[in-house]
Amino acid sequence: MKKQIIFLLTIALFFGSCSKLDVTSLTDVTDEKVFQNADGVRSAVVGMYSQLQKREYYGGFYPLMSDLHTDMVNAGGYENTVLNEFGDRAVSPSNGFVEQMYVSIYKTIRIANGIINSVETKSDYGFDAAEKNQLLGQALGVRALAHFDLLRLFGYHWDINSPLGIPIVTTVQNATDILDRSTVKATYDAIQKDLNQAEVLLKNVTLEGNYMSLNAVKGLLARLALYKKDYTAAKKYSSELLKTSNYAFLDSTQVQKIYADRLTSESIFELGFDIQNQSAYNALTYARKDALTTEVFYLASSALKDFFDVRSNDQRAALLDYKNNDIGFSDNGRSQKYRGEVTKDNPAYILRLAEMQLILAESNGFTKEGVAALNQLRLQRGLKKATIDNKAEFQNTILDEILAEFNFEGHYYFDLARLGLLKERTGIANFRSVFPVPLREINVSQGKMKQNPQY
Amino acid sequence: MTKKYILPYPIFLRFSLCYLIFCAFTTISSAQTTLKGTVKDEKGMPIEFATILIKGTNKGTTSDLDGRFEVPISPKDQQIEVGYVGFTTETLDIAGQTRMEIVLKEAISVMKDVVVTGYATQQKSRLSTAVASIGNKDFKDQPVTNVASSIQGKISGIQVTSPSGTPGAGLLVSIRGAQNPLYVVDGIPMLSESNSAIATSFDTNGESVGAGQNISSINDINPNDIESIDILKDASAAAIYGARAANGVVLITTKRGKSGETSFNFNAYTGIQQPVRKIPFMSSEQFIAMINEARSNDLARYKADKTVFGKDFDPSVLTKPLNYSASGQNTVWLDEVLRNAPMNNYELSARGGTDKTRFFISGGYYDQQGIVIESAYKRLGARMNIDHSVNDRFSIGANMSFNHSQNRRSFNDNTYSGIITNALGASPLMPAYEKDGNYASFEKYQANWLSDNPVKSAHELYGFTKSYRFLGSTFAEYKITNDLKFRSVFSTDFTTLNDDFFASPITTDGSAVGGKALNSSYQGLVWLNENILTYQKSFGIHNLSVLLGSTNQQNISSRTSIAGQGFPIGSGLQLASSAATLVPAPATQIPAWKLRSGFGRINYDIAGKYLFSATLRADASSRFSKNQRIGYFPSFSFGWNAHEEAFLKNHNTISFLRLRASYGVTGDQEIGNFQNTSLWKPARYLGVSGLAQRNLADPNLTWQKNIGTDVGIDIELWKGSLSASLDFYSANRKDLLSMVPIAGTTGFSSLITNGGEIQDKGVEFSITSRIIKTDDLKLSTSFNFTYQKNTIKSLLVDDELVSAYSDITPTHIMKVGESIGSFWGVKYLGVDTKTGSPMYEDLNKDGKIDADDSQIIGKARPDFFGGWTTLLSYKGLDASISFQFSKGNQVYNLIRPVYENLGYGNGGGLDQAFANNSTRVLNRWQKPGDVTDTPRFSFIEKNYIESSSQFVEDASFLRVKSLNIGYSFNAGNRKWFKSARLYTQAYNLFTFTKYSGFDPEVSSTGGNNDRTAGINYAAYPQPRTLTVGLNLGF
Repeated sequence: MKKQIIFLLTIALFFGSCSKLDVTSLTDVTDEKVFQNADGVRSAVVGMYSQLQKREYYGGFYPLMSDLHTDMVNAGGYENTVLNEFGDRAVSPSNGFVEQMYVSIYKTIRIANGIINSVETKSDYGFDAAEKNQLLGQALGVRALAHFDLLRLFGYHWDINSPLGIPIVTTVQNATDILDRSTVKATYDAIQKDLNQAEVLLKNVTLEGNYMSLNAVKGLLARLALYKKDYTAAKKYSSELLKTSNYAFLDSTQVQKIYADRLTSESIFELGFDIQNQSAYNALTYARKDALTTEVFYLASSALKDFFDVRSNDQRAALLDYKNNDIGFSDNGRSQKYRGEVTKDNPAYILRLAEMQLILAESNGFTKEGVAALNQLRLQRGLKKATIDNKAEFQNTILDEILAEFNFEGHYYFDLARLGLLKERTGIANFRSVFPVPLREINVSQGKMKQNPQY
Repeated sequence: MTKKYILPYPIFLRFSLCYLIFCAFTTISSAQTTLKGTVKDEKGMPIEFATILIKGTNKGTTSDLDGRFEVPISPKDQQIEVGYVGFTTETLDIAGQTRMEIVLKEAISVMKDVVVTGYATQQKSRLSTAVASIGNKDFKDQPVTNVASSIQGKISGIQVTSPSGTPGAGLLVSIRGAQNPLYVVDGIPMLSESNSAIATSFDTNGESVGAGQNISSINDINPNDIESIDILKDASAAAIYGARAANGVVLITTKRGKSGETSFNFNAYTGIQQPVRKIPFMSSEQFIAMINEARSNDLARYKADKTVFGKDFDPSVLTKPLNYSASGQNTVWLDEVLRNAPMNNYELSARGGTDKTRFFISGGYYDQQGIVIESAYKRLGARMNIDHSVNDRFSIGANMSFNHSQNRRSFNDNTYSGIITNALGASPLMPAYEKDGNYASFEKYQANWLSDNPVKSAHELYGFTKSYRFLGSTFAEYKITNDLKFRSVFSTDFTTLNDDFFASPITTDGSAVGGKALNSSYQGLVWLNENILTYQKSFGIHNLSVLLGSTNQQNISSRTSIAGQGFPIGSGLQLASSAATLVPAPATQIPAWKLRSGFGRINYDIAGKYLFSATLRADASSRFSKNQRIGYFPSFSFGWNAHEEAFLKNHNTISFLRLRASYGVTGDQEIGNFQNTSLWKPARYLGVSGLAQRNLADPNLTWQKNIGTDVGIDIELWKGSLSASLDFYSANRKDLLSMVPIAGTTGFSSLITNGGEIQDKGVEFSITSRIIKTDDLKLSTSFNFTYQKNTIKSLLVDDELVSAYSDITPTHIMKVGESIGSFWGVKYLGVDTKTGSPMYEDLNKDGKIDADDSQIIGKARPDFFGGWTTLLSYKGLDASISFQFSKGNQVYNLIRPVYENLGYGNGGGLDQAFANNSTRVLNRWQKPGDVTDTPRFSFIEKNYIESSSQFVEDASFLRVKSLNIGYSFNAGNRKWFKSARLYTQAYNLFTFTKYSGFDPEVSSTGGNNDRTAGINYAAYPQPRTLTVGLNLGF
C-alpha cells in the first residue's frame, strides 16, 4: 500500500512541477555572477569602498571608539551599557561594538580578496594592463589598511616579537574556515607585502583623494614603517608626501576648513560620504544644537579642555566647544569637526598631511631635524616653537601634537599603545592597549583563537 | 521579467481544465419524490438549521424556523441523517415514508462533533491524534481584534501571550513550546507576520537596534466571523501540512450559509478601556528629597575617604544647593500620556439560502482608541461565503473577505524616543506644556534620561499604518462515485500596506533637519492551488478513507520605501515627496518563494474500535538549493476506543475511553528568502553604484525537522457529563534553522544553517464538567493545565551570548542543558546592611564585579500555565468567567534601571538628575542595620547594574481574563426580532502578580525571537476593557 502512495505522491509532485521552482532575487546578484566578468569586478570595487563606509568601521566607530578609550573622550548615550564599557575603559570580550568592528573590517578584506583573486586569475575578463593595475592596486591597498587597522585594535602591534598578531586573510573564506592568529611580525610582513605591491601597481594611476591612490599607499607605508620602527622608510615616505605639490598646509587661521571643506590640500586619503549615504560622525558627536549628553555618544572630556587651555593660540582649540551645550554637559564639550546636521556627509580622515609631518618628526628622533619637523606643525597651527630639552620631552610633545591634531579622528589611543604610554598618560591599565578579541571568536574557533592577556 | 512570478499561468490553465472535465461528467438526476417533516427537540421546540442529509449522497437541506423541512428523494435513497450541533445525530429509514416527525436528543458528549483536520474533517471519536477545538460560543463578544486572544487560556498546551497593549498588536502563540504556528483560514495558509516597515526600535542616531513592536496581520480576520478554531497540536496531526507545520497549525473555519429563511444578526458593543496599572512615581518633593539624600550619603562617604570618588573629585557638587526646587509643579507623567479610551464595534451579518445555494455575508466596523494618547486602531471589513450545489454530484463555492485597517502607531515597546519610554522617568518638576501653551522643552528640566517631552512625542511623531487585505478562494467539488470525490481550490491572499511616518520639525528626531518622513508601501500576493482526491468506503466493519492531494503555492511581495528630510515650515506637508532631500536613497526589496507539495493520508478503523492513521507529505521549497529541496514528512497514529470493547460497552459510568499514541515529523522553512545563496546587494560610493556582499550562505541548507511523539488518553464519564484528556508529549526540533555564529574572519558573524536540537517535553491535562444540565439551569466548568520543560539538547556553537538589542551588553545565553530564553547577567546578592551598597556574586573571585561574573539568572519560559473557564446559565441569564495563570516565568525588566536609579546623577552635575524614580525605591537602605533589597541612594555612584538579577522579576500571574454576563429576552411572538441578548463584559479584569511593571506578559523584542524572550523595555501597557453589547437576531 505504502509503495503505491509514494508512487502516487511522486506523480502528484510531477503533476505540479511544470512551472520551475527556482526563484531569483530581483534585488540581489549571486556571488558567482559578481566575479563572472570585468563589470562585476568593477562593481565590487565600489562595494569595497562602501564597506569601508560602514558605521562600524570608517563610518564612525573605528576612529571614535578608540578615542573613547582614552581620557580625552567620555561616553554619552542613554546609559548605553556597551558604550559605557568603552567610557569606563572596561571593555569586555562580550562587548557587541568590538565584535561589530571586528567583523566589519574583515568583511572589507573579504571583498578585497574577491577582487584580488579575480583580477589575478581571470585572464579572459579583458582588463587592459592599466585597469588591472588600478583595480588590483586599490584592493591590495585597502586590504593592507584593514589588516593594519585590525592589528592596531586587537594585536600587540608595538612588539614585533609577540605571537599576538591577528589572523591574516588572503583568500575568500568559506563559512566554516577558522584561522589562527599570526605573529605580529607575520602580520606586518603581510601588510608590507600588499603595500609594496600596491605602490608598484598604482605608480601611473590617477585617483582622487577619496580613493586608495598611490599617495594613500605611500602614507600607509610611512605609518607602517613608524609602527615597525623602520625610521629610514618612515622618513622616506613621509618626506616624499610632504614634498608632493598636491599637498600643502592651510593657513593657521584656516584649520577649520579641513573639516568644513572637502578634500583640502591637507587630505591624503579622505573617505567621502554624501547626503544619501551619510556617515555617523555628526550624529555621534554633535546631533543637534540643543542635544543632551544622552543624545551624543562621544563627548569631549574636561581633560581635553584642560589640555587646550594651556596651549595659547592653538587654532585647533576652536574645534572644540565647551560653551554652547546643554547645561547637563557640565564640564564636557562637543567636537566641532563634524558639523553639518542636515547633510551629515562628514568624511573619514584616514590620512592627513599633519600625520606625515609628525611621522617625519618622530622618525628623525630627538634631533635637530626631528624638533624642526615637529615645530613646523606647531607653527602651522598658530603655536610657538617648542623648546625641547630631552628625549622624553620630545616624545611627549609629539603625543601632545597628535592629541591636539587628531582628537576625534582615532590616532591618540593607538599611538599611546605603540609607545607603551597608555598607563602613564591616561591611567588606564597597560593591558588595555589593545581591545579584547570578541568572545564569539574564541567560542567558534574551538580553542584556536587566543585571547589577549588579562582579558 | 517579473511576469513569471505574478501570473502562474500553467496552474490557472490546469485549474480551468478541471472545471471543463467536471462539467462533462455532470449527469441529470432521475425521478424524484418529496419527503416532508419537522425536527424538534425533546421538549417539542422546533429546531432551526438542523441538517437533513440523504445518506450516501450530498443531497440534503436544513430545517426552517418552525423546524419544517422538505427534501427531494429518489427511490434508491434508503436512510437520512438528521443532526444539529449539540444534539445526537439520528439515522432513520425513509423507505416508504413521505412525512416524518423527528425528535433529536440533546447530546452531552462532544465526541460526535466534527473537527477539521486539514483538507478534511473527522468525527472526534475517530481521531487518533491530538486536535483541540474551540467554538464561537467560547469567544464571542470579546473586545479583541486578534483571533489568538480567543484561545488564550482555553486550551492545554497552547500558550498565548500579549506582549504589548498596542491596539492591533501581535500576540505570541506557542503550541507545545514552538512559536508562531501556521494559520489556515478556510484552507488558505495566511501570512501572519507584521508587514509594517515602521520600526519602533531605534537608537538616538536613528539606527535600528533590534526588533520592536509587532503588529500582526492576523488581525485582518474578524474573530466574530469565525465558526470554529481547530488546533493541530501534535506533529502527527500537523504533518499533513508538512513543511509549514513545525510550529503547529491553527485551522480557522468561518461561518457559512444554511438553507432556509434568511436570518440576520446584529451585534454591537461599546466600551471603555482603562490602564490596568500605573507604576507609582515620586512627587516633586520626594524626587528632590531623594537627590538630596543621595548627595548627603555621598558626602558622608567622601568625608570618610577623600579618594573614594577619584582624586580629581570636586565635592562642591555634594554641598552646594540644587539648582532646582519643588515649586508647585508636580507632573504625574503616566497620567499625561495614558487615558481612558473608548472602543466600539458594530457587525451585521446575514445567512441563509435555498437547498441549492447558501450564503453568509457579514460586515463589521471596529474602532479602538488606545490608552496611550494619540494611538488608535480601526478596522472595516466584509466577508461573503457562498456554496452552490450545481447538481447531486457537483458543487462550487467561494469565500471572500476584504479588510481595511488603519493604525495610528504609538512609539513604544523598545525605542528611545517612545512615549512610554520617556514618560517613565520624566521629571515631576517639568510640565507637559509651558504657560504660553508650547510644549515644555525637556532640555530645560532635570532628568536627562529623556529624549523628548513624551506628550510632544505623542502629538508630533505621526506614524500611520494602513492595510488593505483581500483573502479569497473559489472551489469546486465533484463526486466521481459515491465514495470518491475530487476537490480543487484556488485561493489568493493579497495585501497592500502603507506606512507613513513623520517626525515634525519640533521633535528631537526632526529638529536638526527640519522634519523627517518615511513613506513605505508593501504589496504581498500569495497564489495557491490545491487538488484533493478523497475516497471513503466501509467494507463491513472496516472503514477506510484515503486522501491524496497536491498543492502549488507561490508568494511574491515587494516593499519600496523613501525617506526625506527638510519640510516647508508651517506647510503641514508630511510626505517624503515634499522633502528638501531624500535620505537615504529609496529602497526596494522583492522577496519571493514557491512551494510545491504532494501529500496523502489514510484513516482506517475496525468497527470504530481500532483506529489507525498515517500521512506522508513531500514538500519542495525554493528556499533551499536543488539537491536539498525536497523534504518528506511522515506520521503515524493509533487509537483504541476501549469503550467499544465488550467489557466496557454499556458501562454505567465510563461512556467513552480512548488511548492514543502518535509519532510525526513536520518541517520548517521559515528562514526568509534567498538564504541558500550568497548574494551581493547594491552599494554606493560617491554617486557610483556597485555591489557589496550581503550574506554568506550555506548551500546545503535544508528543512528543519520537528519530531513529535504524543501519548494520550481521552475519557468521558456519565455520557459526557465529565470529560477529560491527558497527554504526554515530546517535541524535538532538529536540524534547527538557526543563525549560527561563525568566525568573523569570514567577514560575517553568522550563517543560517541547520544545526542544534531543542526539546520541549510536557504534560497537558484538561477537564470539562457539565455539572448541572437541567432545562433552566446549566453549569459547566473547564480547567486546563500544561507543564512544559524546554531544554537545548545540542548546538553547533555552545554558550552563545545574545543581546536583546545591539547596544546593550548580552542579555541571554544559548547553552546546552538550559532552556531557550535564559537570562544572562550578574547575580545580585542584596544590600550590605552596614553600608547600603549592593552586593553581587564575584563568580571568578577576581575581586571585581564585571561582565566576567555573569551567569544564568533566570528564564522567560513558565514551568506551567493554564486556564479555568466556568459557564452558568439560568433561564435567560448567562454568565461566564475565565481565568488564566502562568507560573515560573520571569521578566528581565530592562527599563526598570532607568526609573529605579536611586538618585544617580549620570554625570549631569547639579543641574541634572538621571530620571525620576518609582516609589518602590522608598524602602531603600538609610542607615546601618536596615534590611532591604534596595541599595542606598547615591548621586555619584551607580548603585545598580543593568545586566543583573536585580532586574529579573518573577512574572507568575493569575488573571481574571474575562467576565461576561448576559440576558436573553424571551422572543415569544415578537415580530421585529427573533432573539435578543444584552450583555456586559469585562476583559483583563484583575491580575494577581508580584511583577512590578505594567503587565507580566510583556515581551518587547517582537514576536519572532524566542532567543531573546522575556524582555520589558517600555512596552505599551495592557488595558482593562469594560463593554456593554447587544446581539439581535431577526
